[in-house]
Amino acid sequence: MIGNLGQIWAITTKDLRTYYFNPPMIMFGLAMPVLLFFSFSMRRAGMSRQMGIMHLMSMILFFTASTAGPVILILERRTRTLDRLMTAPLSMGSLLFGKMLVGVLFAVSVTLVPLIVGLTIFHIEIQNPALLLGAIILSAMSFSALGIWFGSFPARSVGAVMMPSTLLRWPLLFVSGIFIPLERMPVWARTIARISPLTYAHDAVTHAVSGSGFQSATLDMLLLPVFMILFLFLAVRLYRRVRKLGY
Amino acid sequence: MSELLSAIEVSGLSKRYGKLLAVDNIDFHVKDGEIFGFMGPNGAGKTTTVMMLTSFLEPTAGTIRIHDYDLSVKSLEARATMGIVPEESNIYTELTALDNLLFAGKIYRMSRKARKRRAEELLEVFGLSDRANVKTQEFSKGMRRRLTVAMALIHEPKLLFLDEPISGLDVQSTRYIKKLVHDLNTSGVTIFLTTHQIEVANELCNRVAIINQGRIATIGTPDELKANIESVQTVAVTFDTPEGNNVPSLDGLKGVNHEIKSGNGRRLYTDSPADVIPAVIDFAREHGLRITSLNTLGPSLEDVFLKITGQEVGTITTSPGGEGKRGKGGMRK
Repeated sequence: MIGNLGQIWAITTKDLRTYYFNPPMIMFGLAMPVLLFFSFSMRRAGMSRQMGIMHLMSMILFFTASTAGPVILILERRTRTLDRLMTAPLSMGSLLFGKMLVGVLFAVSVTLVPLIVGLTIFHIEIQNPALLLGAIILSAMSFSALGIWFGSFPARSVGAVMMPSTLLRWPLLFVSGIFIPLERMPVWARTIARISPLTYAHDAVTHAVSGSGFQSATLDMLLLPVFMILFLFLAVRLYRRVRKLGY
Repeated sequence: MSELLSAIEVSGLSKRYGKLLAVDNIDFHVKDGEIFGFMGPNGAGKTTTVMMLTSFLEPTAGTIRIHDYDLSVKSLEARATMGIVPEESNIYTELTALDNLLFAGKIYRMSRKARKRRAEELLEVFGLSDRANVKTQEFSKGMRRRLTVAMALIHEPKLLFLDEPISGLDVQSTRYIKKLVHDLNTSGVTIFLTTHQIEVANELCNRVAIINQGRIATIGTPDELKANIESVQTVAVTFDTPEGNNVPSLDGLKGVNHEIKSGNGRRLYTDSPADVIPAVIDFAREHGLRITSLNTLGPSLEDVFLKITGQEVGTITTSPGGEGKRGKGGMRK
């Protein structure tokens, strides 16, 4: 993959120009944090501003990073531009890494909006800025890889992938400690939370902003890349199947 | 030694989709520097074969060597030597023509300087220089086609796969693409041409393979293939009448096996032109028609295709006032 860095970056920048720098995507990127901000009022249930910003950042990271990947892959499959990439001298892993990277850039950019609002308007304090930066980037990578995995199922319509991916993503939101703290969850829910990358992302962000969390920040930061590798591996496996069966 | 001169070597290639054997143990090779036509009816295994040759699809069995690289082992090296032009133009419509070319160059690991020089060169060759910085969503079908071909050529491939290169194009673009294929071949590029248009294959290809029901039914130069079915002979006759459609059917004339109508003319399939010619002359006299041309013809590549794929001229019917209709055949379940 190291030898393919130029090709990976070419795919990332092409996707940025082709799919992200257009009105619907920009609107989505801007509207998402604003809508979530209002629907997820910080004053509700006595939530502090600091906690509200932490929750908001985790949610925005999760949704923005995991939404675009499937849409782009299916659009490229329909216009057959994906065929061009799949027959180029480029490994499938590199191709999908390039696609993942663009989701990371988009999600990180959008997540900066609530962070800047929190810092400048609500004057929240960040306990560990370096950890926050690392947590945002690694979380975006694992969520974007999740989106790439969803988009790798051999479907030709966006709806065929978006419906099941939404059905899977929303429950994760509820078991990952954002709405209900992990320590107040029943054991079965905490077991499910263990297999959600959002749990570790939110915990890492919480550590960085407030200085404490549910489990070790080091464990969070180690597991997020593991999720990314796992999702990319599963996506590459799906494309191997496509190469065997066609789509 | 012969392997070294092959751009493509296919051996024992098969592809199975569940119970359907789409490609059944085929062998062929494409010589370096030739234009190789690959034809077959719908569902014959043509697209599946091309998808395997371009590494898009894994074979169930068999080997493919591209410029001596085993595609299952050295896939990336083999892909670097190929350019692929699919039937459907797959350009990025949100990007300009120049950016499409530069992106293709990056994917093929060309240096910044090399891809810029080559992109400008190709824009010039393909007559797109004045639209270089226009988003391609505004391009016509012909312009998109030209850009798709240009993108496939950015890295100066040694082997070019062309899938239905002139399908749906106007006369000007068709001529342009045909000339381009010829010129590319002259400059040493091997061309694997998939087409339904038999005359295109006849005109451009050094050799042609016809695939039917998943197997290579025949392979050779167009002349060799025609020579193999010399029993198919035709008499072509044209009548001088403004109402060509009203010329009665000649199907019942002595020696005529089948008849195909074309404007004011008729093509009469026969085993014995010597019997048909006097019969046609008598027919014209009887109906007060003036014969403007009368020729005997050998088999065309279309005849070869129809005979081999089972869509023989016997399945062609003529209807009064209508075009000759060809029965559907050769489909495989």
